[in-house]
Amino acid sequence: MAREPQESPEERVRKSVARTIANLTVLLISLGVLGAWAYFGIYQLEPGQAAVILRFGKYVHTVSQPGLRWHLPPPIEDHEVVNVASIDREEFGYLTGDAEPTSEEKLEAAMQTSDANIVHLSFVVQYRIKDAFQARYRIADPRPVLRDAAQAAVRGVVGRNTIDDVLSEKRGIVETETQEVLQDTLDHYESGLAVLGIELQDVQPPESVRAAFDDVLGAVQDRNRTVNEAQGYANEVLPKSRAQSVELIESARGYRDARIAEATGQASRFRAIASEYQKAPEVVRTRLFLETMEDVLPSVRTVIVEPGTAVMPYLPLDERPKEVAK
Amino acid sequence: MRRIVFGLLVISAIFAALVWAGEVGVGPVVITREGEQKIVLLFGSPVSVQTEPGLSLRVPFVSNVVSFDRRFLYFNSEPQQMQTRDAERPVVDHYVVWRIADPLKFFASFPSGMSQAEAQIDRVTRSDLREVVGTKTLAEVVTTEREQVMRAITDKSAASLAEFGIEVRDVRINRTELPPGTEENVYARMRSQREQLARKYRAEGEQEGRRIRAEADRDARVTVADAQRDADVLRGEGEAESARIYAEAHAIAPEFYGFVRRLDAYKKTIGAQTTLVVPPSNDFFELLESFTPKAAP
Repeated sequence: MAREPQESPEERVRKSVARTIANLTVLLISLGVLGAWAYFGIYQLEPGQAAVILRFGKYVHTVSQPGLRWHLPPPIEDHEVVNVASIDREEFGYLTGDAEPTSEEKLEAAMQTSDANIVHLSFVVQYRIKDAFQARYRIADPRPVLRDAAQAAVRGVVGRNTIDDVLSEKRGIVETETQEVLQDTLDHYESGLAVLGIELQDVQPPESVRAAFDDVLGAVQDRNRTVNEAQGYANEVLPKSRAQSVELIESARGYRDARIAEATGQASRFRAIASEYQKAPEVVRTRLFLETMEDVLPSVRTVIVEPGTAVMPYLPLDERPKEVAK
Repeated sequence: MRRIVFGLLVISAIFAALVWAGEVGVGPVVITREGEQKIVLLFGSPVSVQTEPGLSLRVPFVSNVVSFDRRFLYFNSEPQQMQTRDAERPVVDHYVVWRIADPLKFFASFPSGMSQAEAQIDRVTRSDLREVVGTKTLAEVVTTEREQVMRAITDKSAASLAEFGIEVRDVRINRTELPPGTEENVYARMRSQREQLARKYRAEGEQEGRRIRAEADRDARVTVADAQRDADVLRGEGEAESARIYAEAHAIAPEFYGFVRRLDAYKKTIGAQTTLVVPPSNDFFELLESFTPKAAP
């Protein structure tokens, strides 16, 4: 590089300062441009949101920590914010007492059971996004898919159960099975959706057979009532029989004790008389005999007949029964 | 130093500009985003296919790019009445989840786009559905073999749509309606089933009730009979014991006992209806016949 020989030292200093200033300016401007570019990579994430980061259109990762965040500025990277906390619900069928259901709602509600019955049920599916990337970039429009898949799942599960199962306590099993089936289906479609719960709401037999179903409930009550009445009868009869038994045994015990007491009394009386008798048999015999006769004879018609006198021995046999009958 | 920095800046600015241009669809850079796939056409004929996301290059100005969805797509066809093996005619509603697996084949098959493809999917899945359902009974389609039926249709349709660049993920029956007019038959059957059940429950109640009553009666009877037996045993004990006591006492003077007992018996048996005919020589009356004022010696 050729130099002007006659440049003064002041001139040289001035030039070098100017060069330095120019260099610094360029550097500052470059930094400013870079900084401005980098600024476009700043984004904010609210709680419940997730950001899918794409680099040149390709998925890198998902950010779910809320706050002020940064990624390489566009066009290198960009982000898509997805709401992952909000819970959505889809309703199927109709509730009794609602406004007149549409024909679509009626079709949604009617399902066939394994015993070829028809049951009407309405249910609610609650779901949210579990994978923001899949929900955005793997499936086009998740909502109609979810609606149809949910109906297919419920119909599949109901079709494996009888109408009595569906109407009774097995409802809970239907709910959990449906949830599993629906989750599998949605995972198969890479939908990124999580089924939080399925809730059967109104499970009813069709209107025109409802009376027959109610009558079965009535029959169950009738059965229970009949059984309860019989139980009541048993509860009355058995204690009564036990009471009667106690009476019988107690009265027999009384009889036994009375007999023994009576015998003991009689025996001791006899013993007493017998000891008198042994001292003077004749006297006691005569006395006892005469006393007895005194007792007995006054009420008796006594005829005294001399042996050998001509008295016709007449026994009025025909009168006997009459007297006996008295 | 200054030149290096400056050069880097210029290069990155050019790069950024090209990428930005690519995003709006001009220039040599092609950006394929997630959920997309692209074909590059040079003078109308495809030269490259981009199914994965990222950057690729093309000849600018003379080539153009066609984008396709790479996500799973949903198609619901109209409900359709079809015949089962057991000659039922249910109305079957199904949906298809599918995606474009091969954009080249897809583009060649359906130059006018999605609606054409959906029409093809509709045609194929319908006829497969009809065919598979025709080999099954209504009960199999609706309940017992539902999963197998749907898998068979999915496999069939997937095989026949693969040549169009279409991947069938799932064909699923979301609803089966009974043939119109047959509902009343089902209701009638349901009613008669319920009536049978109701009768059964009532009869069961009757049976159970009678059993309980009969058992109660039997138990009561047995209880009383047992008590009667025990009572008789007790009475017997009383009789035996009293007999023993009497016998013990009477053994002291058997002859006298006979005398006393006879007297007791007279008291009880002789009454107003008795007529005694006795000779005066009777012991009791002997004085009537042979009275002597003086006492016998």
